[in-house]
Amino acid sequence: MFRESRTLVEALERIPRRPGRGLRFVSAEGLERFYTYEEVWQEALRRAAHLTAHGLRRGDRLALVIPEGHEFVLAFLGATVAGIVPVPIFPSATFKRIEGYADIVSHIVEAAGSRVLLTMERMKPQMEMVSGRATCLERLLLTETAFDGAGPAFERPPIDPETVCFLQFTSGSTARPRGVMVTHANLVANARACLGPHGLNINDEDVTVSWLPLYHDMGLGFVFSAILGDLPAVFLPTASFGRTPRIWLEALQKYRGTITYAPNFAYQLVTKRLREKDLAGLDLRHVRVAGCGAEPIRARALLDFAKRLGPTGFDGGKVLLPCYGMAESTLAITFHELGSPIVLDRVDADAMKLGDARPASADTIRALDLVSCGKPFPGHELAIVNEYREPLDDRKVGEIAVCGPSVTKGYYNSATTAESWKDGWLYTGDLGYTVNGNLFVCGRIKDLIIINGANHYPQDIEWAVADIDKVRRGNVVAFGLAGDRTEELIVVAEGHSADASGLRTAITRRISEEYGLQPRHVSIVPVGTLPRTSSGKVQRRKTKQMFENGELSEHQ
Amino acid sequence: MDRNDLMKLFRKIAAEIEPKDYGQVTEADVITDLGIDSLGLAELVGALEQELEIRIPEEQLAGVRTVKQLFELVEQGLELKGAHP
Repeated sequence: MFRESRTLVEALERIPRRPGRGLRFVSAEGLERFYTYEEVWQEALRRAAHLTAHGLRRGDRLALVIPEGHEFVLAFLGATVAGIVPVPIFPSATFKRIEGYADIVSHIVEAAGSRVLLTMERMKPQMEMVSGRATCLERLLLTETAFDGAGPAFERPPIDPETVCFLQFTSGSTARPRGVMVTHANLVANARACLGPHGLNINDEDVTVSWLPLYHDMGLGFVFSAILGDLPAVFLPTASFGRTPRIWLEALQKYRGTITYAPNFAYQLVTKRLREKDLAGLDLRHVRVAGCGAEPIRARALLDFAKRLGPTGFDGGKVLLPCYGMAESTLAITFHELGSPIVLDRVDADAMKLGDARPASADTIRALDLVSCGKPFPGHELAIVNEYREPLDDRKVGEIAVCGPSVTKGYYNSATTAESWKDGWLYTGDLGYTVNGNLFVCGRIKDLIIINGANHYPQDIEWAVADIDKVRRGNVVAFGLAGDRTEELIVVAEGHSADASGLRTAITRRISEEYGLQPRHVSIVPVGTLPRTSSGKVQRRKTKQMFENGELSEHQ
Repeated sequence: MDRNDLMKLFRKIAAEIEPKDYGQVTEADVITDLGIDSLGLAELVGALEQELEIRIPEEQLAGVRTVKQLFELVEQGLELKGAHP
């Protein structure tokens, strides 16, 4: 019965109540809260009843800005049981201007058309600023008071697998926030594929450990896989990992975690920050899967991590599991083959620029090491296509297109859906090639910038700096450049020579305070330098090309 | 620990995260102007917590802009520690 569940709600209701299985949340102070699956179910029902009593109806979007993991997950599941559509939003404005943060949250709330926002007491001042900005928002609810006492009488609505379970916003986007509509059918299909024999191949000894943010698809994936796989799951606060990365490894040891996931940057961060004495006494022999996704994967980062963790019994040759996916396809689409060493492909960097993923030879001047993200899940298909969306052969670089039950129906209420979805296929905007069915991701057509696992749209960054004095909207371009370790942000703005130094400082400051990013370079170029289309729009890709070729003469 | 000691500690930790000279940094400076990205700032807070054996709750860092504001949170943490050693 349980295995046949067609929705998240069915799975939660039918999950066998085996002892010791449930969701465990560790707070920043180290306090543990454990909910058995029966308790999770009862709490979800209770919260569903309260949310309904608060006037929320099936299909209504409920914005969630909740900094505590257990409160977030229980509210999310409560909404889901009531057929309400949760909209997870990032709950932190650390070292940021509150105004900028409130703007970003309001844009998401507006795009989702949420009448109600659920938050916590401590975030109330910031959320009141959101209330003032998002015109559709009628009410703020607090987790501390919204769920008081036994739930009122409540009749569970039927949940159809094809209904939207939640909206996943793909970035804190100002210019064009887009919420991916993930249906129950998508979510169940994807979790099953991830957990199944071609994915993690879970067993009764498995325990998952995650510090990933729960407003993000990969973090939420741990909630869904726990419920659909009847797994014990441990959740740590994201901020605690950032401050002290070794807590990730300590938790894997303490809870005998066998499955964990992180973006590329986290593997680098651990390697960089871990000290000799942190390694002493650390035993990670039981870790079966250390997955990697959500941003471009660098072979070096994974291999360095495996080497550094070698003394703990961490077996990099078996457990590192690169994968590929995106919110638009629920989560993962391809998985590396479990239990085998990561597959590297060394190619000629110059041939690659021309679209040829030619293996490097003795004559190669510059070689690139790419990591295979594996093969698509059963029931899913992957194709590499040219600009006319015609399939390409192995080792030809083109756009990655995917199809299958994990592929969502598109963005909520957005005309941009038709740009990427056609005839059941999702055109990802990512560049890649295949070799014997293995996918290698090597770049991006879309203008997304991915730094430290977070997506940033260049439009947002350009927008954020546009109201700085002496910067004019439409005269600034942001793009990402592949760096040695992570992607790097470059900003090019037009301005006068006398203002150049002040502009560089002001732009850097604004980006840092709004996004927590440090641009690698802010280039101030003479007015009229930026390449434009015939209609006067700045050409981002052309600007990037000119920058890379050293063709932009900038003010000092 | 007075503000001078705190500034010394702050400069030392910052230099370990993003090596450069922080000698000119003052309390009025905006933290995100120091050239440290968000990962580095998380590390900085973690290092301060570890060094001083205090806790700085994440939500209190919302809207913290200057070095002075961060120092005030550190002092709150030290006071709490003094109250419940």
